[in-house]
Amino acid sequence: MKLISNIAAWIFGAGLVGLALFVTADVIARKFFGLSFEGADELGGYVLAVGAALAFLVALVVRAHMRIDVIYARLPVAPRAVLDWVSLFTLTCMAGLMVWLGWKMLRDSMAYHSSAPTPWATPLAWPQGVWLSALALFFLITAGSLIIATRDLVRGRWREVNARFGSSAEKDELDAELADLKRRR
Amino acid sequence: TQFKVLGQPTSIGKIFDELEKPFFEDFAKSTGLDVSANYNPVDTTGIKDAEGLRMVKSGLFDIVSLRFSPISRDAPIALGIDLVGQNPDYKSAKQSTELFLPEVKKVFEASFNTKLLGVWPFGPQVLFCKPEVASLTGLKGKKVRVFDQSMANFVDSLGGTPVPMAFPEVQQALQRGVIDCALTGPSSANAAGWPEVATTVIPVGFSMAFNGYGMNLDRWNTLSADQQAAMQAAFDTLDAKIWKRSEELYDEAMRCNSGGEPCSLKSYSLKVMKPGKADFDAVKKALAANSFPAWQKICDASTEGCSAAWMKTVGKAKGL
Amino acid sequence: MDIQTVAIGFAVMLALLLFSLPVAAVMTITGVVGGALLYGLPLVDSMGSVIWGVLNDNVMTAVPLFILLGEILLRSGIADRMYEALSLWLGRLPGGLLHSNIGASALFAATSGSSVAAAATISTVSLPALTNRGYPVRRSLGSLAAGGTLGILIPPSVNLLIYGSLAGESVGRLFVAGIVPGILLTSLFSLYILVEAKLFPGHEREMSQISWSDRFQSLRYLVGPLLIFMIITGSIYTGFATPTESAALGVVGALMIVIVRGRMSLDFLGQCFVNTARTSGMILLIITGAFMLNVTLSLGGVAQAATDWVASLGLSAVGLLIALIAFYIILGMFMDVLSMMVLTIPVALPIIKAAGIDPIWFGIFIILMCELGLITPPVGMNLYVVHGVRADNGPFRDVALGALPYVVLMIVFALILIVFPGLVTWLPNQMHS
Ligand code: NA
Ligand code: NA
Repeated sequence: MKLISNIAAWIFGAGLVGLALFVTADVIARKFFGLSFEGADELGGYVLAVGAALAFLVALVVRAHMRIDVIYARLPVAPRAVLDWVSLFTLTCMAGLMVWLGWKMLRDSMAYHSSAPTPWATPLAWPQGVWLSALALFFLITAGSLIIATRDLVRGRWREVNARFGSSAEKDELDAELADLKRRR
Repeated sequence: TQFKVLGQPTSIGKIFDELEKPFFEDFAKSTGLDVSANYNPVDTTGIKDAEGLRMVKSGLFDIVSLRFSPISRDAPIALGIDLVGQNPDYKSAKQSTELFLPEVKKVFEASFNTKLLGVWPFGPQVLFCKPEVASLTGLKGKKVRVFDQSMANFVDSLGGTPVPMAFPEVQQALQRGVIDCALTGPSSANAAGWPEVATTVIPVGFSMAFNGYGMNLDRWNTLSADQQAAMQAAFDTLDAKIWKRSEELYDEAMRCNSGGEPCSLKSYSLKVMKPGKADFDAVKKALAANSFPAWQKICDASTEGCSAAWMKTVGKAKGL
Repeated sequence: MDIQTVAIGFAVMLALLLFSLPVAAVMTITGVVGGALLYGLPLVDSMGSVIWGVLNDNVMTAVPLFILLGEILLRSGIADRMYEALSLWLGRLPGGLLHSNIGASALFAATSGSSVAAAATISTVSLPALTNRGYPVRRSLGSLAAGGTLGILIPPSVNLLIYGSLAGESVGRLFVAGIVPGILLTSLFSLYILVEAKLFPGHEREMSQISWSDRFQSLRYLVGPLLIFMIITGSIYTGFATPTESAALGVVGALMIVIVRGRMSLDFLGQCFVNTARTSGMILLIITGAFMLNVTLSLGGVAQAATDWVASLGLSAVGLLIALIAFYIILGMFMDVLSMMVLTIPVALPIIKAAGIDPIWFGIFIILMCELGLITPPVGMNLYVVHGVRADNGPFRDVALGALPYVVLMIVFALILIVFPGLVTWLPNQMHS
């Protein structure tokens, strides 16, 4: 899972850097040479759509999806594990819903031969197809995590559930920041 | 009974405030039927206007105010009443709808389960420039804000650089010279303060920016024949009012933008460049050489016989 | 829908949130279940186009780009050096290094879109020095937590971007509107530190004399961040680029600085990418959920119900804003600020528009309320971060109490903005004429 998440992060990051370069070239060309590549806007939209789906996945794997833990943090480990499982379950539902809705979007776009009203006149089915695949990957990871969490929960391994799927975003993040700061200095 | 209605964005201004909103808010009075409407302007819902046809089809809304340029993403045939260069003024806009709307209606019914109850134009989309530009030929080398692809093609064919840009950013961009010219309706321009930063306007309509009302066909079929007649009549009345008001608003906004009287909008002092024969020829040429061929490919891919039907009707009338 | 139903729905949602369910999922569930109850399944169907609409949006693309920009500056060590340079310049003022905390936070804010990483970095770099010199611990922690909140007010700001997207306002104008309040609030913080140091000396050890040549030497560490700030804010102000384009320019600029300074490596890029994906994924999922909820809210007439209810109270515009301050302080204590923003804006905006309040001004006001939320316990992101960095395992109340004066300052500042709305609206209005 860590590996998939790292690969997703690289695709996401490389997409952003590529987009940034393209847009920069476009802005400079527009300002100084009076020509526009056209399509930077459109590309930006697609990079975000696909990138967001990948980023959902990364955030899931590093447990960064925002949860408000005022009460949670004060509970014993067993109820915490149950809440972790419920949280994961709701995220899985959300991912499943997005895949289902994304599939319907794609199906309609194919049926209507919809194409973007832009210079590239991109058939919408292409970006939406890639987008849907990324969403599906996000769903698979949530569903896989849910299976593991269910198994651990049924066996009463509260600590494992908590350690793998619990909300400790701030603590994790802080530890990572401190480690990185050491590396930099 | 209640109809769920997805309306224009609130930002449209007078046509929204004076005609569409009251029409639906007092739907019983407008139609003479025992009906009401749950009316939601599209921009308050987070739904994009390009999704209009899909909204009618899904049945989430019974009636949707369809903006033709965005929805042409799903139904390219909708643009057939308003290709760039096809409608430089209201008269030709009327003619285009008479000739080609039946084709559009057929496709909406067959593919989108949508009964099209009527259409009306926002009005001519004209060109505002900061540097003084006397005619369309003067666009050579200029950066022009466009809002859809057929306009981009047209600007390209005149030797200009089309720049797609979101409406709220245009005024500043004109001011700072990021773009030289921008296209929109004169009343939108007035409301957004474009004349403050532009110097000239060229009143040649690139297109008319059509809007229509679509009703979910299943819902339509639940109405009795009498009710259908009453409903259709109500929308015909609304359409006629908007056609007239749209033209008045266009005239007034042009007047206000150039410091004329009477004027109930903000008054500005733009220079109006009287379009000459060369300008109208350029627009007409763009239709034949540019916007029709580009549209032909996309439309035929989505609807069989689309461009042939256009040629037989509008094309023939234009002598193409 | 009547206001009671709205209140019950809101209370249920708040309860789900407090039970630590993911914010994005709670909003989606509320939106989908509520929508299906009100309108049936077609409503849920239509949300597909809403999701695609939000995510296939060039304006929103700026969100991950600005986050990436902040990551690049942080991971390359540019931000660390910036703090050290500022401490050479500000360290000898009354209140000393506390000014450097505020200054470095503000400068970092001017190059980065969000705040957690910045607060962590500056705290980590500064706390050892602050402790060694014997600064009162509450003052140190408070200034760090408060300084960190400037990141969302001084442009670029991810929160302002989200506001612009939800409110349909020009992001460029919102960014420009944040400049003057950002500078004023920074100055207000510094002024407070100065006054407090004069009235109640903290008895910290003075910094040793620093030679002017050292000081000028250090300036080169400020060049990079300032350059990035100029690129972003300058290109937006002059209309040279849209906010998304300016973010792209900033990213390319920052990458070039990193390459010039010989810090580019695959490891470095990987770090930036993972962190950017993580933060963006969290934010974008919440935004997606918020937009899905928004469909139900608007079709259910919730904003209308709330607007009518507020109108029935007969408050003046000022009264309304003061009531909103109270509301946001309470909400901000228990909610994370991003969730607070996306949940309240769709309902609050029609209300304030009906009251004749400028939506650009209100954008800055909301950001200020978010800043407050970041430093009020029990849920205050910046408090957690700064508390987490301290090495001596002291009690949490140190940072919470230390931040309290800044809470008061922010409330005072919000009142100042109510009295002088021109502080917000003047600069963006200069963009036209
Ligand atoms: Na910032
Ligand atoms: Na708080």
